Amino acid sequence: MSNSKLYKGSLTTIILKLLNEHDKMYGYEITQKVKELTKGELKITEGALYPALHKLEAEGLLDVEVAKVDNRLRKYYKLTETGTKETVNKLEELAEYIKTMQALVNPKLA
Amino acid sequence: MKLTKEEIQFVDNYLIKNEVKYWDVRLELLDHIVSAVEDKMTNDGISFNEALLDVHRGFGNQCIEFGVPKGKIFESGLYQSNIGFKKFTKNKQKEISRKNRKRYWVLLKQTLLSYSFMLEYLLFVMMIFVTYQYKPKTALLVALITLAIPELLKFKYVFRKGVRHSLNANMVGLLNSSFLCFQGAILNFYKDEFTYNGIVDYRYIIGFYVLIYPLTRVSFMLYKEVLNTTKERYQLLTS
Repeated sequence: MSNSKLYKGSLTTIILKLLNEHDKMYGYEITQKVKELTKGELKITEGALYPALHKLEAEGLLDVEVAKVDNRLRKYYKLTETGTKETVNKLEELAEYIKTMQALVNPKLA
Repeated sequence: MKLTKEEIQFVDNYLIKNEVKYWDVRLELLDHIVSAVEDKMTNDGISFNEALLDVHRGFGNQCIEFGVPKGKIFESGLYQSNIGFKKFTKNKQKEISRKNRKRYWVLLKQTLLSYSFMLEYLLFVMMIFVTYQYKPKTALLVALITLAIPELLKFKYVFRKGVRHSLNANMVGLLNSSFLCFQGAILNFYKDEFTYNGIVDYRYIIGFYVLIYPLTRVSFMLYKEVLNTTKERYQLLTS
């Protein structure tokens, strides 16, 4: 991730959230979607994305589907049932974190 | 701008040169690199080589321009390291083995709770028990042969196309070998417990084999599952 180390801890939550909104996505599509949604503010590098995807797959939160596209194989990631439940927990955790940070940084708004 | 078949082949060769030897690791990298290069060429208006270098760096690889004086000639070039791809493969290896271990316990739980396996296990135990009543040595041999069957059946999968250069297949094979080594180590460690005055008490060894039967059986099930997925993907790749 290029912009800040602050985003690093939220990478798995970002991936889970995106996959929750889309049926299935491939690696490059995720990086582009994040770039598009944050208007180029947040860029996920390949070196950060794939370890996170493989970790989520090993934890059983993501499932993999392989399809042939334009003379090459494409690996699509999609949420498993456990993954869908975990997304809710992770988003709640993130919302709680933002609230806490807001209370610390800007008490008037909290 | 879509890359031609030759350019895609060039990217694949570039990955092989960068020591990404497993095809199931390469397929994910190849798709990402090709998509990124196509995108950069279309939107940023840069050349194929520039786009490829850009993606190369994105994976955490290094690109250093160098200049070396060689006599009167000054040689310059570009040094590319494959450290990012190495990290990618190492990380994937770690996660695959984690995934396999997790799947192993899930399969073990499912197998132990299935009625068909309970019946199979009961038959195995009865067969060993009855044989032991007449000939203890034969009972040990029967237990050993029964445990060796899944191991022998694995050879059916090992020589399939695409298995040798697949990281998934290699990792499940490694898990299986570690399991076999662990069995051997346990038997070797406790060998004095089985021996009384130089005579081996077969009861303990047979008991040990009976106990590990479900573990060996599940190990084969996992092996078969992973290798079948590998075969399906390889067929899709070569179709």
